[in-house]
Amino acid sequence: MAAVPKILNRIAIVAAIVMATTGGSRANLQVRPELPQRIISLVPATTEMLFVMGAGGRIAGVSDYDRFPADVAKLPKVGGLLDPNVERLISLKPDLVIVYDTQTDLKQQLDRARIPMFRYAHRGLADITQTLRALGERIGNKAAADTAASGIEAQLDAVRARVAGRPKLTTLLVFGRDPGALRHIDASGGIGFLHDVLELAGGTDVLGDLKQQSVDVSTEMVLRRAPQVILELHYGESLTAARVDEERKVWNALPSVPAVKNNQVYLLRGDEFVIPGPRIVIAAERIAQTLHPESFAR
Amino acid sequence: MLTATDVSFSYTRGRRAAQQVLRGVSFAVERGAIVGLLGPNGSGKTTLVRIVAGMLRPDSGRVTLDGLTVSDMARRELARRVAVVPQETYTTFDFSVIDMVLMGRYPHLGPFELERPADLDIARNALRATGTESLESRPFATLSGGEKQRVIIAAALAQASDMLLLDEPTTALDIGYQFEIAALLKRLNTEHGTTMVVSTHDLNLAAALCSRVVLLKAGSVIAEGPTRDTLTAANIGLLYDVDADVHFHARAGHLMVVPLGRTQ
Amino acid sequence: MAGHSNVAAAYRPRRAVRVRLAWTLASFGTLAVLACLLAPLAGSTPIRLSAVFDRSIPYADNIDAQIFWVARLPRVLAAALVGSSLALAGVVFQALLRNPLASPDTLGVSAGASLGAMIAITFNLDFSLLGLTAVPFASFIGSFGALSIVYGLSAARRRGTSTMVLLLGGVTVQALLSAVIAFVQYLADFTQTFRNVRWLMGSLDVASYPPLVAALIPMGIAWLGLATLPRTLDLISVGHDSAAARGVDVDRAERVALVSASLATGAAVALSGPVSFVGLIAPHLVRLIVGSDHRLVLPAAALFGAAFLIGCDLVARTIIAPLELPVGIITAIIGGPVFLWLLFRRS
Repeated sequence: MAAVPKILNRIAIVAAIVMATTGGSRANLQVRPELPQRIISLVPATTEMLFVMGAGGRIAGVSDYDRFPADVAKLPKVGGLLDPNVERLISLKPDLVIVYDTQTDLKQQLDRARIPMFRYAHRGLADITQTLRALGERIGNKAAADTAASGIEAQLDAVRARVAGRPKLTTLLVFGRDPGALRHIDASGGIGFLHDVLELAGGTDVLGDLKQQSVDVSTEMVLRRAPQVILELHYGESLTAARVDEERKVWNALPSVPAVKNNQVYLLRGDEFVIPGPRIVIAAERIAQTLHPESFAR
Repeated sequence: MLTATDVSFSYTRGRRAAQQVLRGVSFAVERGAIVGLLGPNGSGKTTLVRIVAGMLRPDSGRVTLDGLTVSDMARRELARRVAVVPQETYTTFDFSVIDMVLMGRYPHLGPFELERPADLDIARNALRATGTESLESRPFATLSGGEKQRVIIAAALAQASDMLLLDEPTTALDIGYQFEIAALLKRLNTEHGTTMVVSTHDLNLAAALCSRVVLLKAGSVIAEGPTRDTLTAANIGLLYDVDADVHFHARAGHLMVVPLGRTQ
Repeated sequence: MAGHSNVAAAYRPRRAVRVRLAWTLASFGTLAVLACLLAPLAGSTPIRLSAVFDRSIPYADNIDAQIFWVARLPRVLAAALVGSSLALAGVVFQALLRNPLASPDTLGVSAGASLGAMIAITFNLDFSLLGLTAVPFASFIGSFGALSIVYGLSAARRRGTSTMVLLLGGVTVQALLSAVIAFVQYLADFTQTFRNVRWLMGSLDVASYPPLVAALIPMGIAWLGLATLPRTLDLISVGHDSAAARGVDVDRAERVALVSASLATGAAVALSGPVSFVGLIAPHLVRLIVGSDHRLVLPAAALFGAAFLIGCDLVARTIIAPLELPVGIITAIIGGPVFLWLLFRRS
């Protein structure tokens, strides 16, 4: 032992201390990260992004709420935003887990288990393609991801171009309400990816000045704001075809609203309205078509 | 006025063996008398009081009031004839003294009836009779123990001037108030002829107040009769397993019981 | 004992109860009526009464009229019904449980109503019955279920331990239902959870009249049930045995009171979602003014509760205009400090 020079000893001790104190995030220690082959995506949007960049085969698990594409039906489910099944998740031996930025408990547990994470945050329309690109880089599919992102941007631009020059219609973009009644109406208030899609598709958010992600809307507000169009977005099985007409008629209680008067109340069904992923293009096209059908007549 | 004939009662708890609390209890209370009900814990005193008050129905035997069977009487009718003075009264809400006494008028009013001036007069008379008329507007909760009991007795008087059933009326009071209540009850009986049945542990209260006593042990009457003849050292020994000295106290003017110790 | 000087002042040689009752009904009644008449005219959007009743404008074009008849009047009436029901239920529960801290939530009826609503939201129930849509209907069924359990517990109780059994049984039911609510929320997806949380904040914007009429049925039954009970509640609050000795059928009175107060609570929560503090502090504030005689407290609390909630709702829908606050936040902001003040007063 005396043969080891003292200086090397000291270096070794210092190096050990440094490694111990920076050992919090395993990701920092990786000098050459392996390309993840067993990805778990807790966010339906990122699941779709993975598929669209050709990495669908590398997904080891998805959330309970994933429904698209059809292939996800065969994949193991590990919970969702509020209730991730951590044991199941870890048992699948993932090498990358895509988590919501708000899932603090889960992130701590994954840190302790030394599993790498990709943090997803839910923001505006532009963040969809940004996330797509960042994810592509993270998993080593940069080229495919960039191509997909550019494609989405191009399609969105096309929609914007199509309705350019049309007058922007003031729209109440309704995310949800009690079935059968005008109660607990929840609508877009000027912030968020759906608001951005609405603006892109030739509409103006009638509550845009409130600058809120979602607003509790009272009937008095609707009457006062008098939107020209009312767009209700429904996802999953929350609205059956048979009920669409009846649900539309619920708005007849407010006949002075231009949207009601001019029969401009629309109920749109589809998961693309709630998932800020590649299918947002479909959402944009459908909303644009609803607001400005003349631009799509061919 | 009040007659208990062969009253038996047992508490049944589901399918477990019944607990026989009263066995063939009989006694009588004449109009205008004060009768004491004495007995140790578990003797069935409280159950007997509840039966007389109409809250429990005897398994066999009956209690009659002026010839009418108590358990057949409508609640309100019974309440108009017999008023109960409990040991203690806790109020959740802020009622004034006059409020508390007016509640005694309940059995005399219909469901939507409000008190009339006559009811208010009766209440005030009752306060006067118990020496509490100056406390009329005071919140009941601010009174002393003795004052509270006097008000509750006033409420009982406002309810039914015929007969009072007092369940341990002085047990929760200090010695000063014990004498106060005893004197009040004596005065009410002398001046108004109010019949009373007093259930108590206080042997000297019974000696001072009651013309007759009923001694209850393990659900049976072991002795019953005029106080002077029944409240004897031998009977007290039987009742409480307590060695006591009983003699007439000249200054007090009634029997005094001096407990000395347990008999075994 | 500084507080007692205030209390003593309230108990000067008493006018007869019939006089006080007349004054109480007149004053609180005026308050409630004024609230009902003026509140629909006030709000974040100025409207003109003349325009509301102007027949020359066709209804379909008359914004002022629609704001009045659809957005505001049902809302004010809902506030009146919910406020009075919760205040009444608060008075009754405080008397029944002999506890000034009791409220309509204590025995689990609100929890039952909340559970019904959560189930309707989480499982996307969608139907229409008796003028009610799925969520309020399921909510009322839930409250009725909770009531049945508590009623069953109280009916099976032994004599002499009634209040304790009722309280413990009710609190247990409340805790159990809260656990089931948590489970149902666990099953909900993101949007349903959002809707659940919004429902729990309470909303008076009913926007139509059928739900009000539907709520009036159980509330009306409750009011009928409570009509004969005020004096009886006075006696029961002093003691079960002393009440029985004065001719009260305590068991029957308690059952009628329990069912009535629970029906009123269930209907209120089904209509608007849970609204905090009204049932807890309205009884206390009213007692400060009229004393403790339930013949005065019950009608006064009903009228005061109505006016109070109408007022709170007015604040909720104007204070941060153009946005609106859930009414439960205003009742909590007002109710919380008032309740603390009442507690300090007592000690």
